[in-house]
Amino acid sequence: MRLRSLFLPLAAVALACGVPAAAGNKLVVAGQRIAVAKSAMTVLPTSEWNRLGARPGRAAETWTLDGDALNDLTFYGGIESGRPLFREVSRKTKPLPTVSTTMLVTDIPALLENSYRIALGTASMTIGTIEPATFAGAKGVHFTYSFVRQDDTLRRRGEGRGAMIGGRLYLITYEAPALYYYDRSAAAARQVAESAQL
Amino acid sequence: MIVRRLMAAMLAATAVAGAGSAAEKVPPLPPYVAAYEPTNVDERGAWMIADEDERRLRDSADVMRDPALNAFVRGVLCRTVGEDRCKGVRLYIVHVPAFNATMRPNGMMTIWSGALLRLRSEAELGAVLGHEFGHFELRHGLADFRNRRSGTDLMAWASVLVANSAAFQVDMVGGFYAFDRAQEKAADMIGVRYLAASHYPSHAAADIWDRMMGEADATAIGRHRKPDQRYAAGFFASHPTNLARATYLRSAAAELPDADGSAGVDGYRAAIAPWLPMLLDDQIRLNDFGGSEYLLGQLAVGGWATPLLFARAELYRMRGHPRDLVSAAGFYQEAIARGDAGAEAYRGLGLALMRSQQVEPAKTALREYLRRKPDANDASIIATLVAS
Repeated sequence: MRLRSLFLPLAAVALACGVPAAAGNKLVVAGQRIAVAKSAMTVLPTSEWNRLGARPGRAAETWTLDGDALNDLTFYGGIESGRPLFREVSRKTKPLPTVSTTMLVTDIPALLENSYRIALGTASMTIGTIEPATFAGAKGVHFTYSFVRQDDTLRRRGEGRGAMIGGRLYLITYEAPALYYYDRSAAAARQVAESAQL
Repeated sequence: MIVRRLMAAMLAATAVAGAGSAAEKVPPLPPYVAAYEPTNVDERGAWMIADEDERRLRDSADVMRDPALNAFVRGVLCRTVGEDRCKGVRLYIVHVPAFNATMRPNGMMTIWSGALLRLRSEAELGAVLGHEFGHFELRHGLADFRNRRSGTDLMAWASVLVANSAAFQVDMVGGFYAFDRAQEKAADMIGVRYLAASHYPSHAAADIWDRMMGEADATAIGRHRKPDQRYAAGFFASHPTNLARATYLRSAAAELPDADGSAGVDGYRAAIAPWLPMLLDDQIRLNDFGGSEYLLGQLAVGGWATPLLFARAELYRMRGHPRDLVSAAGFYQEAIARGDAGAEAYRGLGLALMRSQQVEPAKTALREYLRRKPDANDASIIATLVAS
């Protein structure tokens, strides 16, 4: 039962998005300013990245170096009021919290935390430090977090930079296993996040 | 597991009760054999899988290992099923904010932290654990395995609140499948029997049910859905089914000689108290306003204690409609007025007021937060809000 029940969704996922997603992966070249997450947000990477064809949500996009399980740099480009950060697993049974135009900067980490708790089914998601930061020229927030995926023992660390600009949420997160990978690619990820402009 | 079991029993009971014979004969407790070893290929296979799962769970970061809490839960299990039986069980308290308990054929029992938040007394906890133990003692896992079903009972409690946020770990099961009503009834009957043999009142099992249903309904309404949609989707025929279920459990309990001991409400509350803020925080982050509000109301039947007020305030502030922010500020102020609120109450009050554009009172509250907790993880950004 267990095998069968795992296999069916996996097969469905593979059929639905596996092939097109792989086909959509693309090299991001160094030294060129590029628009991300189908939004007005641009970044200027100084090293090469891979852009994944599979998007976490409509206004989101993920870059990686070694695969998104090992280093995941995700851009959320201007999420509108009333929309969740990323695609919901089930709008009916596991709806995600949504962005609000009146959100304070301190609500940005809470939104990510609650979304992860629901989508990943983990109560282990916690926010570390929350500090003020300038993001894409606006008053924003920089925060750290960590979590363990459900049924996993590998702790992942993450950091986010974001701001509410014109009533929309702009956010860049970087996350990787705390073991080895986080530190290895953190500098490259920070460089991209800090180059963000609107 | 229990809920699925309870539901199955309930469904079975509906038919029976409808026929006018609500009083089921409660079978006597079977003799218990310690250190049982699997006897055939099916059973050895089921145990091997369960052993492997247990190794993973044992090392999982989700297991709550606090010795006092574990001793308390284990104590309730032992008082319910008896000392000799409880020696055969390894009990794991798992940090998952959903109402569930599970039992595997090798003697690995789990209870989820969401269940600890929702139960009210040692007797209710005993009812949940006793029902699980009944599946173990009657080797239902093996029968499941033979029926080419999951062999795990992880769907269980969570499936009742499946409409809920809390449909955690459902992925592990991969969907709902038919269940065996006879097994449910058997485990139910033996569960009631354990309770009757213990010093806990045996009607506790029936008491849990109404609150579970109420919460599931509140969740649905909070999400602008009809509460009965879920029943049509497979589990419940309708509310009267629930009524039949309660009747069935209560009549079984009434038939048994009961020790008429204390349900252990105070002991339960005291044991859970250190964990209450964390359990509440897990709950309100599930984006389940209706269900959480219902649950808080249930927990506050004896009065709104400070942790409950604070959790309610946070719940309203997170939803964040303009009227919610006003309500939230009120609850924070109530919590603060009680005198034992943490610094976070001032933080919440300040942020709720700030979002309501009451800037000066907001800054006053945030300053108080910083004064009380200068090394908070968000002290620097709160300071910028105060300075802005």
